[in-house]
Amino acid sequence: MHNLLAFLTKYYHWLIFLFLEVVSGVMLFKYNSYQGSVWISSANAVVGKVYEWQSGVWHFFSLSVRSEQLTQRNLFLEEEVLRLRQRLADVTADTSLLMKRELDSLSRYELIPARVVNNSVHRMDNLITIDKGSVDGVKTDMGVACGTGVVGVVYLTSDHYSVVLPVLNHLSHISVTIRNCGYFGYLTWQGGNPMFAYVEDVPRHARFQKGDWIETSGYSNIFPSGISVGKIVDINDSEDGLSYRLKVHLSTDFSRLRDVCVITEQGFAERMELKEAAIDSLNVRQ
Amino acid sequence: MITEFLQRLLLLVMFCLAQVLVFNRIHVFNCASPLLYVYFAIIFPRSYPRWAILLWCFTLGVMIDAFSNTPGVASASLTLTGALQPVLLELFLPRDADDKLKVSASTLGIGKFVSLSSLLTFIFCLVFFSLEAFSFFDWLYWLECVVGNTLLTLILIYTFECFRR
Repeated sequence: MHNLLAFLTKYYHWLIFLFLEVVSGVMLFKYNSYQGSVWISSANAVVGKVYEWQSGVWHFFSLSVRSEQLTQRNLFLEEEVLRLRQRLADVTADTSLLMKRELDSLSRYELIPARVVNNSVHRMDNLITIDKGSVDGVKTDMGVACGTGVVGVVYLTSDHYSVVLPVLNHLSHISVTIRNCGYFGYLTWQGGNPMFAYVEDVPRHARFQKGDWIETSGYSNIFPSGISVGKIVDINDSEDGLSYRLKVHLSTDFSRLRDVCVITEQGFAERMELKEAAIDSLNVRQ
Repeated sequence: MITEFLQRLLLLVMFCLAQVLVFNRIHVFNCASPLLYVYFAIIFPRSYPRWAILLWCFTLGVMIDAFSNTPGVASASLTLTGALQPVLLELFLPRDADDKLKVSASTLGIGKFVSLSSLLTFIFCLVFFSLEAFSFFDWLYWLECVVGNTLLTLILIYTFECFRR
């Protein structure tokens, strides 16, 4: 007993060391089941606030460039709307139809505008922090998009901040389709250049070409269909040779991400409950 | 005692903010970003209580983790660095070293300071990127990260060391 006490008093710092390493280990592995990790992430209120101040300063200095880009984008979109409206009017001779359709398709969804307060693109697994949380109606597994295309999926939320799992994370698998063609696959990223991602599992009989647009399919229920993802720049065979693997130039520039929208659908909560109930019942069967 | 504690606390906050607001945003060749906060673990004076070094390092690690969304990675590697610092420091001490010797290039001599800091930084980067790459192993990228980050961090440490009193 005496020896044990002497041992402990002499080497107690190694015990502290072991204890702290175990705590770190628990944090490291607990992150895989991410619900418990809100406190040690950038969704934490203090951390979020610091990042918000910093991004405020940062954004102030890039405002002029942003405003120029937005004006250009706005002009482009206005022109496009005009062109499409004219075309529709030519075809159907009914000018109010397009407006009605647009409103119909969007009425199912509610958009929560948010601002990116922290962002990374060069890590192996990137995460984005936005300044809206569960108080604002953001829940996990909701889709996030910006003016130029898809961004990612909400990964965890605290009261006022949320962490988004963007396309630039190897855990991200967003269901996508080739525009005007209908074949679908899923979008992955394998590290490296933040401008390029891959679409896996496109069937061999699909007909498409370089330069075709990739958009969300709507199958995953996280995103509505038709949100731009990017353009095909290269077509390869998958590793097993059974499908195509497309290299996609992403339309979203993640390194300059600032304003995003969280997409919530009416009936989202209901559907998530249903999904969980289904998973539970499957677990019971197994 | 209290002033020393407050000074170190201030240093801790400064290292944390410098890392998350400035250095985390630097990416050279897509893999190397300086992890300057390891400097905090290197400069603990001789005979500083070991348990205190461990707690300081762990606290800084957890703070960095919270900001960069890497729970456990920085805290585990920085705690290890903090545990090894007193052991390695003994190896590089001059023969007639003062009991409360402050660790810097001027007290240890440039050669010994460079050896000590390189060794500790290398160990830190090695553990850090091994833990981070756990789920996503690409050994070439891992090697690039370890070497690149060690070099970049050391360059920064020596730059700061030049301006230290």
